[in-house]
Amino acid sequence: MTLSRRDFIKGSAAALALSAIGGPCFAAAKEEADKWVKGVCRYCGTGCGVLVGVNKDGRAVSIKGDPNNHNQGLLCLKGAMLIPVIYSTDRITEPMIRKDGKKSELTKVSWDVALDFAAKRFKDAVAEYGPDSIAYYGSGQALTEESYLANKIWKAGFRTNNVDGNPRLCMASAVGGYMTTFGKDEPMGTYNDIDNATCFFIIGSNTSEAHPVLFRRIARRKQSSPDVKIIVVDPRRTNTSRIADLHVFFKPGTDLALLNGMAHIIFKEELDDDRFIKRYLQFQDNEGNARSLEEYKEFVAQYTPEKVHEITGIDPDMVVKVARMFAESPATLSLWCMGINQRSRGVWANNLIHNLHLITGQIGRPGASPLSLTGQPNACGGVRDTGSLAHLLPAGRVVANEKHRNEIEDYWGVPRGTIQPKMGHHTVALFENMASGNVKAVFIHCTNPAHTLPHLNKYTKGLETAFVAQTECFHDAETLKYADVVFPAAFWCETEGVYGCTERRYSLIEQAVAPAGQSRPAVEILMEFAKRAGVDPKLMPYKNSADIWEEWRKLSQGTPYNFYGMTRERLKKESGIKWPCPSEDHPGTDLRYVRGEDPLVPVNHETKMFFYGRPDGKPIVYLRPYQPPFEPADDEYPFVLTTGRVIDHWHTATMTGQVPELRKAYPSAFVEINPDDAKKLNINNGDPVVLETRRDKMTFPARVTATCMPGLVFCPFFDKKLLVNRLFHDAVDAASKEPEYKICATKVYKQG
Amino acid sequence: MAASKKIMLAALVALVLGAGGFFLYINAAFPQDRCEGAKHLDRPEEFADCVTCHTKASPKVTQDWQESKHGVMLVKCVVCHGEPDGKGSVPFERAPDPIRICAQCHDPAIKRMVAKYGSNLDCNSCHPNHQNPMHGDAYENKIPTTKISLPE
Repeated sequence: MTLSRRDFIKGSAAALALSAIGGPCFAAAKEEADKWVKGVCRYCGTGCGVLVGVNKDGRAVSIKGDPNNHNQGLLCLKGAMLIPVIYSTDRITEPMIRKDGKKSELTKVSWDVALDFAAKRFKDAVAEYGPDSIAYYGSGQALTEESYLANKIWKAGFRTNNVDGNPRLCMASAVGGYMTTFGKDEPMGTYNDIDNATCFFIIGSNTSEAHPVLFRRIARRKQSSPDVKIIVVDPRRTNTSRIADLHVFFKPGTDLALLNGMAHIIFKEELDDDRFIKRYLQFQDNEGNARSLEEYKEFVAQYTPEKVHEITGIDPDMVVKVARMFAESPATLSLWCMGINQRSRGVWANNLIHNLHLITGQIGRPGASPLSLTGQPNACGGVRDTGSLAHLLPAGRVVANEKHRNEIEDYWGVPRGTIQPKMGHHTVALFENMASGNVKAVFIHCTNPAHTLPHLNKYTKGLETAFVAQTECFHDAETLKYADVVFPAAFWCETEGVYGCTERRYSLIEQAVAPAGQSRPAVEILMEFAKRAGVDPKLMPYKNSADIWEEWRKLSQGTPYNFYGMTRERLKKESGIKWPCPSEDHPGTDLRYVRGEDPLVPVNHETKMFFYGRPDGKPIVYLRPYQPPFEPADDEYPFVLTTGRVIDHWHTATMTGQVPELRKAYPSAFVEINPDDAKKLNINNGDPVVLETRRDKMTFPARVTATCMPGLVFCPFFDKKLLVNRLFHDAVDAASKEPEYKICATKVYKQG
Repeated sequence: MAASKKIMLAALVALVLGAGGFFLYINAAFPQDRCEGAKHLDRPEEFADCVTCHTKASPKVTQDWQESKHGVMLVKCVVCHGEPDGKGSVPFERAPDPIRICAQCHDPAIKRMVAKYGSNLDCNSCHPNHQNPMHGDAYENKIPTTKISLPE
């Protein structure tokens, strides 16, 4: 690179001037990091390792990627600007209560007053209406120790299974998919598969904006081997498609037909792996009846390319092309996220992706795997694995199973019969029951349901009716409007705990700085609250979160979630370990269910793969027919509305909104509309556009771009001034109870 | 002796003032090296949306960024340069400090380079941030052009 003349003159002049006057006014004081503290990024499910630079005064001053974690030192723009969030002026630093009901103002009080105020209401509710009148609503962002503890307090202490959380809105269908097909939750592959895959099948995921560091790894793979094929299947042509070989548009909500159609082509052209199918697989229909391979072939034969074209709008040749690419590649990696999960047939869509991997044998080899991407940093490790949902118990157990309940009761040292056999309320039912008065008090931890629930106008009634105790870090959270008690929680690296990301990797966040103001670690808040609300203190014999980790680690021993080898000391030394990891000298597992890789498969097992999640060791291929979404576009409401993320904001922007650069990149939500549609409706960039659904109507500024296909409009959901979830219906997946945030019918017109 | 000392002092003061003045003049006279957005934009709430203006104000830089690794990965302008009013969390700088900015992601690479070539921390002179440092064409013209027509 050469210097321009101007650069040279300017440089010389500056150098001269600086040397002459000593440059005191130009040498801005740079805060240098005195030590680097290891942690995990606070944002998405990628789970990038970070190092927080702390100066001599104990203040965090800088951040960089952890070179030893999977991200190899890289961060995305949100992670690189995480430090200002800690020191935001918006932080809640003192406990607050509303003394005289929801209409009064939040006033600052002492910890004792706040804790007693909340505890009394919970205690009274339990005494008067029974334990099922209270609930815990948790989060995939809470630390593992926090979720494990809350699960124990509510299920064994208060004796109610009303424990659910926002992973229900995000990952429940992926859990349902893995559980029904393989018998146990969590993916069998890891991020290392990205470096070995020769074909990427990305469906229902805008990896580039939702998981930027993983996207970079995919792009690097493509760059190093240009023969690697990338297929992106999405009704929006997002930035992810910039590196794709094929982008496949389809009518929103019709992808089940495409996936079955691909299976048909795979059999028709003999691209299936007959050896794998005969040795490992079994087939089942929706009613749970066993079916044969021949019956499955007949079933998918209905989905000819022409039929698929009729349903999805995808060109018949394209269906064949995609199926061939998927099946002929030496190693195909499927990646999907909310486009598949947040659907009224989310579990089915998950099953159908697994089907494709099973019938082609694209599983259990480096690079060949169905890998579901998580949205939150600790939904996998914290909530799915600890069983902090209404139907689960720790390490893959379920409340409906008496043996499972007894195992946990014995381990927790409570009498048998303590844990209720009845499932608790899943998220949507929980807020319904709050509105109807069945649930009197709820403890909301580390999440913002007044912003994120579907059909908001309906469900905020629950928050208006029930007593709400909340832990929160930022005044900006919409749910604060409904909170009766607010506990200021220590934020991210102000406390210590474990995060578990998409690839079964557990990493420790170490405490780097002191909590802001009077805020306290959430495990302390939960224990103090529970003791005052009448829970036996013997259930919580912990000094700190490390003690909780010890208990949870030992509980995992002997289960398919075995991470007994991950002691706190080891997690401090290493940058994340992937379970199964049964002993302290075990390096962690990349390929689950594979002999010689997975320590839970006996070394002398007779076959290379052993799907021990299922009693018979055989994963199930399901005969799942195509079903349309709950509310497809029709004559009255002719457009499909979908939601999602932008790279600059994360979830409800309570954190990213604190960073000026991120806030100003997208100061408000917008509606993305295809130029063809915009022309027909006479809409220009920036025009106010009304979206009217059967629930509500709202006005957004237009962004005319070819990202959305014709007939589809997109709004990001981060903006609390424009709560797009007010427009959405509350239909949920029949099995996973996850709402369909991705598809609803809407009218679109210019305001005025 | 005293006279020559006085002259020397006067010359030094003149030099300092002259150089300082020249420096200030150069800075004021070539505003294209800075972002004038802070002065001209009537919507400060959109200061971090650099690309909208810079597609016109500095098209080459914008296009180079767009086609570079940083562009594909959506590592946006403000991440390294800060926002034009200088009031954001990242200091506004034309040439960002490698230690504070580049090292956030590229610390391992920086350490490797320093071990090899010494501590000349001018990343940009060999790895121009805004020009396509990608070898191969994985990132070029890969916006898919496949379109389908949907049935009515």
